[in-house]
Amino acid sequence: MTFVPGLGIVKGMALTLRRFFEPKVTVMYPEVRLDVPHKFRGRLQLLYDEWGTLKCETCFQCAQACPIECIDMGGIDTRGRYHVHWGAPETYGERREESALRRSGRPVPDPAYRPFEPVDLAAVDAILEAHDHDPARMLEILEATQTAYGYLPVAALKRISHQTGAWYAMIYGTASYYGHLRFEPAEAVDQAAAVDAHRPNETAYLATLEAALGGVSGTATGARRPS
Amino acid sequence: MTVIARGWNRLTLPGKIIFLAVPLLIALTVGLVATIVLLGPWLLDVLANNLPIVRFVIAATVVLLMTVPTAFLIIYMEMKVIALMNLRIGPDRVGPFGSLLSVVHGLKVLMKEDFTPTGADPLVFTWAPVVVYLASVMSLLVIPFAPGLFGQDFNLGLLYFFAVGGLAVVGLLMAGWSSFNKYSLLGGLRSAAQIISYEIPLTLSVVGLILLAGTMSLNQIVLNQAGWFTDWYVFQQPLGALIFFIAATAEANRTPFDLTEADSEIVAGFATEYSGMRFGFFFFAEYVNVFIISALLVTLFFGGWNAPFDWPWPLELHIDPASLGVGLLLVVAFVPLALTLAFAAPFWLASRRIKGWQALVLGFVLANLFIGALLFAWAYLGLDWVAGIVWFLLKTYVFVFTFVWMRGTLPRVRIDQLMGFAWKWLLPASLLNLFVTAAAIIVVRS
Repeated sequence: MTFVPGLGIVKGMALTLRRFFEPKVTVMYPEVRLDVPHKFRGRLQLLYDEWGTLKCETCFQCAQACPIECIDMGGIDTRGRYHVHWGAPETYGERREESALRRSGRPVPDPAYRPFEPVDLAAVDAILEAHDHDPARMLEILEATQTAYGYLPVAALKRISHQTGAWYAMIYGTASYYGHLRFEPAEAVDQAAAVDAHRPNETAYLATLEAALGGVSGTATGARRPS
Repeated sequence: MTVIARGWNRLTLPGKIIFLAVPLLIALTVGLVATIVLLGPWLLDVLANNLPIVRFVIAATVVLLMTVPTAFLIIYMEMKVIALMNLRIGPDRVGPFGSLLSVVHGLKVLMKEDFTPTGADPLVFTWAPVVVYLASVMSLLVIPFAPGLFGQDFNLGLLYFFAVGGLAVVGLLMAGWSSFNKYSLLGGLRSAAQIISYEIPLTLSVVGLILLAGTMSLNQIVLNQAGWFTDWYVFQQPLGALIFFIAATAEANRTPFDLTEADSEIVAGFATEYSGMRFGFFFFAEYVNVFIISALLVTLFFGGWNAPFDWPWPLELHIDPASLGVGLLLVVAFVPLALTLAFAAPFWLASRRIKGWQALVLGFVLANLFIGALLFAWAYLGLDWVAGIVWFLLKTYVFVFTFVWMRGTLPRVRIDQLMGFAWKWLLPASLLNLFVTAAAIIVVRS
């Protein structure tokens, strides 16, 4: 392009004028706060008290309560006696369970206890092979697994995580997001439905209630609200 | 101890002050009333015989008072507009949309220590900001704001403007010299060099216009441009207007020629040693200069207070509020009430969710806006000077915005580029403009 004197000035002025009318993204933070995703649980961090010591008592309740096992912690207990760890079992497994339970005063459980039911993983391996171990095709893998087992066993999910390299937490999140994927066998779901069926007839109960009180359940009665 | 001494001792300190102040106040009031009664007629006579002087003093006072809010407004505008161009929000805490922030800045500057460095020449040091500020204020005196609304219709107005505007250089040199600081002195000399260099193309660029207009009275120049916007001098003197605009930018120390007192540089040129309100005066003068330069640009090249169109059907309004008599009282009493109710009713009827008092507040606001719009329309149509000042300020602030816009966009030039541009480009261009205009006038008029 040929050199036109003053063209740069015009271009720059046009740019600033466009910026002038552009909407601004600034958020007035203390007064206005953006919405966070509904699965967001905040940043994990350990707090200190006013004397500068850790408030964490290494009770592991947070790690135990974490539904997707994303909390992995370790350290020394509050009296400085035991090294404790909650996380990868191949490193600290035995020690953390024993020490944590001992300092919390609870009975040490049976070492034969299995946190989840072992299942035959040959079907999962076949499915993973068919899907190329591709974590991007997670939904298809999970659907195929559910077809094979009737539900998504925890052991199968761990296997998928190990083989594809996807985090267990993300696989769990994917599985829990979709309504058609379930973590219990269909029989358990049927059982819940059967329990539901034995509950007293809600319609008849509501009809009695509506007749007694006037109005229709689930709708406004039409009374003026107090103003 | 006498009774009087005991009574005096019983008074607290404020009591003593008031006891002394009250008689003084009474004496002063009596003296004032006596002066008015005794000397009033004579004083009025003197004032009536010296009407031009009275007019000048009043105009100077009004202009002096007007510069302060103008500077506040332009400072706020600069902060806000540049912020928006930087994709920021800018001032938004003090007042609606942060509009009072510049007032807060003014108060802050007032409260700061007014420091005079050791070795400075106190007299010159103190008067330098005054000279700079007065040069700005006094050049405002000849600018016609609206028909009949100017300090002085001076037949050498343009010459006066450049002469008084040039006084600012003296103030800058005074500030630089008296600070007892070699950096201040260098800054003062640098700004003097810049302003004097740009004064030449600035003055030469309007000579062509003076040839066209045949007068140097700013009021007459504005009157010459009456009619449609095609009659403005910018269409007959485009090169002159461009040179004037560029030279005026340098004259007002605006970006890209703001080397004399660049905000982002640490040493503030001639104002290095200034603090408190003395610095505030330099700062204010800069923003008043922006207004003045824009106003002069509008006056000379963009029709001044003329509307850009010549309304071919003049609207004759003959409203005499006094003819209503007692009815006027009733109108004043009941029309706002009735309008409030009339504007509130649709909201109240439209939705049950809007409560009665909310509808009334909405109706009150809308009725006020409606009445204000009606009054403004009446003033615009009925009063010459209202229409004039509206158009004048509108055009002026368009150019103020342009100056701010340029500051948000352009980088600063180097001092050699600055001087080279003035002497090698602007000066020949303005001479060319002058010769072409003169030749065209000879060809057309002969």
